[in-house]
Amino acid sequence: MCKIDYLGTGLCPSGPERHFVAYYPQGRMDICDALAGELIPVTEGLLDIADTCTLCGICDRQCHFYTGMRPMTVMRALKDYVAAWRAEGGRATATAEDEVLKELRKIVGREWATNDPAILVTYANDPFPLAAMRMPKYVVLPGSRTDVESIVRLANDRTLPFAIRGNGGSVFGFVFTDGIVLDMNRMRKMEIDPDNWSADVEPGVTSFDLQREAHRRGLRVNAAEPAATVCGNIVCTGTFSTWSNVYGTAADNFLDMEFVDREGGAFHLNDKSIANHFGFERDVLPSPGICTRGLVKLHPMTGDEEGVLVPFADFDEAARFARDLGQRRIGLAVAVLGAHYIANFMSPSKELAARLKQSLPEVLGCEYMVFAVGDRYAREAIKRMAGAVIDQGLFRMLMLGLPRLLDPRWVDLIREYEGTMRPYELLCKSEMRPLLEAVLEPSAETIAEAVDEDLRDFYAALYERPEMTDMVWLNMFRIVSSRMSREKHMLAFLVYVPLDHIDVIKGINEEFRRIADAEGLDNDYGFLTPMDFGKRAILEYDYYIDQTDPAEAAKIARVMRKIGPWLDDLAAKTKGVQWLKYVFSQGCSRKESFLYESLESPLRKEGAPR
Amino acid sequence: MRISTGELKRTRAERRGRILLTGGTGFLGSHLAAELLRSGYRIFLLARPLKQQRADERVAKILDWFGIEPEVRRNLQVVEGTIEKPGLGLDGDTLSDCLENTFEVIHCASNTGFAERKRPEVEAANIEGLGNVLEFASRSNCVFFHHLSTAYVAGRREGLCREELVDADDFTNVYEETKARGERLVSDHCRAAGIRLNIYRPSIVYGDSRTGRSLLFNALYYPVKTAVFLKDLYAADILKRGGRKAAAMGVRRESDGSLYLPIRLEVESAEGINLIPIDHLVAAFTAILDDSLEGGIFHVVNARQTAMGDLIDYTRRLFNIRGIEPCRPEDFGARPRNALEILFNNYLEAYGPYMRDKRTFAMDNARGILAKRRITCPAFDLEIFSRCMNYAVEVDWGARLFGGA
Repeated sequence: MCKIDYLGTGLCPSGPERHFVAYYPQGRMDICDALAGELIPVTEGLLDIADTCTLCGICDRQCHFYTGMRPMTVMRALKDYVAAWRAEGGRATATAEDEVLKELRKIVGREWATNDPAILVTYANDPFPLAAMRMPKYVVLPGSRTDVESIVRLANDRTLPFAIRGNGGSVFGFVFTDGIVLDMNRMRKMEIDPDNWSADVEPGVTSFDLQREAHRRGLRVNAAEPAATVCGNIVCTGTFSTWSNVYGTAADNFLDMEFVDREGGAFHLNDKSIANHFGFERDVLPSPGICTRGLVKLHPMTGDEEGVLVPFADFDEAARFARDLGQRRIGLAVAVLGAHYIANFMSPSKELAARLKQSLPEVLGCEYMVFAVGDRYAREAIKRMAGAVIDQGLFRMLMLGLPRLLDPRWVDLIREYEGTMRPYELLCKSEMRPLLEAVLEPSAETIAEAVDEDLRDFYAALYERPEMTDMVWLNMFRIVSSRMSREKHMLAFLVYVPLDHIDVIKGINEEFRRIADAEGLDNDYGFLTPMDFGKRAILEYDYYIDQTDPAEAAKIARVMRKIGPWLDDLAAKTKGVQWLKYVFSQGCSRKESFLYESLESPLRKEGAPR
Repeated sequence: MRISTGELKRTRAERRGRILLTGGTGFLGSHLAAELLRSGYRIFLLARPLKQQRADERVAKILDWFGIEPEVRRNLQVVEGTIEKPGLGLDGDTLSDCLENTFEVIHCASNTGFAERKRPEVEAANIEGLGNVLEFASRSNCVFFHHLSTAYVAGRREGLCREELVDADDFTNVYEETKARGERLVSDHCRAAGIRLNIYRPSIVYGDSRTGRSLLFNALYYPVKTAVFLKDLYAADILKRGGRKAAAMGVRRESDGSLYLPIRLEVESAEGINLIPIDHLVAAFTAILDDSLEGGIFHVVNARQTAMGDLIDYTRRLFNIRGIEPCRPEDFGARPRNALEILFNNYLEAYGPYMRDKRTFAMDNARGILAKRRITCPAFDLEIFSRCMNYAVEVDWGARLFGGA
């Protein structure tokens, strides 16, 4: 997240200049950790990385927004360490330039390829607990498709393995190698063609950056998490979001994609002469190649779009309502969210989030909410269908007044309310607004009370901005989604499910819960978004682990051994169930090829080669 | 019957038999437990752990509140369990001990939720939970079952409600319905098992009329607490923030220093509510327990209802609030309800049947016993109201009950 300017605070100054992860706060944290573990010496690169940190404090504000952490302590520690090391007359280790590095530098330019351990170590690890640390030999930042082609050919010539990182980041332990890491961070060109309803993007362009460009033009893209690259996310997962209710997923998201194959040759998906990457095979397959360009679909926005939340006491009601919206084609973005997500999205601190999560069901009587974005006609329909809704005005009031909403006296009053309406139904009544206004005192200053005192001015200024409480903006840019890992590292399990069988979906939730509970792992329901007119949906269930605790890693290893066979078995027996594990790297396929059964291939039947 | 009345009397007099008491961390149950302990009874008190607190810690806090002396506590054994599980969720040894040594059961545990949406949890406690307690009683050496019910098992009706099992099928809410079903259940079960049975039917219980102390601040307290909350909220707005939000709601500070809250309550001034203080319930319960050895059904109610107009008046006078007025439904037509009125009237809707109660309660069974001991229920007047509400404010409506911040 420190590689995108999602709060409008600017970026860590050295990052956009030097591009390597090591020059962003995330990298400096890894370097500190590696120094503490004596994994790397003090190198020339490390000195430069420490020196280019200006202690400007941007990372503190950015990081606190979604993790609650204050990385400035680490940045200071790194600089202090280097200063002490210099004072003691330390001499930096210089890593020799070998033949491969020379070749790589010939391709991309001297400054964009390295074998300095301080930089390499920032590509060697991620929070995924089951992947061991692997130091690459080289990290290279290609600047163009021809650079990529040349690097692939060089790697093949030298029989070096390689791995691709869209924006330098990694969370699932997939992109480690002992050979070359290609970090696509420099390839950030992006061109919007409104007449073609498309954006032509290079692989270093993030979802946040593309959404921002699209938004400026009154357009929208079906975007992944803000720091994820657009191309990388499409290739890996097919990109899904709450907007997938109307925009779909996988091949629905793009017009064409360009790749460099394993031999270093380029191709694009709409070329009829190549293998069919729009089809799907239920297997763990490699991606079509290294994506070097994507022609991504853009969608129109109407000026009257707003978000609404429809509270429900239980999952069945909420899922039925979301399905109804999908089937009736009402609304754009749609999702069933649980108390855990809503609480974390709304709360600037984890303490407040924990209290809200508890209060939503216990006090307000609402365990789930259906989130929807719609134009005025859709919202009117939703209000008529649901009765009690939290509209944009009320949402803003609740969010800005959150510390007061959770004030013990008010909470007690609502908890003990024995009226005929559920407490949330009462609060949703428009006549109650003046009272809520008085109780909540909603303002940027009020919500800022939830954070450390020295950050309050910053948060107050931040929440003065209308987009920070705008459900449409927040859902398009997804900057609060990252808060889900605020307490612990999140492992998301994603399953496509048949929305006409809510019992199946509930069964999946219960089994995920049972498996995690048996191991004592924190877990919670994530979200459910209808797809393809309410026929299918994507379900997320999340496990939360302390990635630094080996005991939790062992637990995760055990649960993974249970989850795989269970989901495979369920998918074999139940139409519409498809684990994202198999879609992974087949994100360019048509969604119909994995959401539904296809014709059985006569060629395959006869055992012919594929 | 499992025992003769003579043996029952002797065993009680010598305090040989233990009482298993459910709901001992609740309002009624804790008061009964405290009284019985002070009277020398030996008690198994069934309690659940809650959040981070063990059952015995919860009970200890409550006994501290009652000021129960350590030597008296020696007669108490807290058993960690729940009525919602068979065998009361007790572990093997504890269950055996309780089955062997329980001489009487006092069943106070109950879910008092009114709203239909709470039906599953209300039924879980008041029907399934009761079933588990009865099953325990049958398996144990229990000879007498004391069942805390409610006067309102009579259901939606007018006129005299007798101290006998009711056959109603129309109830105001799920609480009344499940308590009525519970009485049938407990009656059938005890008859079949040869266990004597007393059913105690209190009306609406508030704090101690002599001290004002209470452990629970719902029912009668809730609307008052809401009024005080609103008064504090708008007074702060007027004093500290210029009073814009107060003005928008029509709230103002009067020249005599009182606060004007424009709240029309949908109640008739003369309509009444039947209130009894907890000290009366405790006195009545122990008297009935001592005297009713063959078993019976007893209304523990107030002969004098409290008029809604009086309650509103007490609130105005004690808290220096103006503007709260009783109002007929048709009067709302001219001016729609404001937010404060919606808040109140939705709540009052649930309590409405108890505020315009056309039921009267026969007290023949109870009166005989209570009169002998000169136990009378005090009228709920301004003095008692003030005592109770002042205590509520002192403990911040329960938030500072156990010395919390």
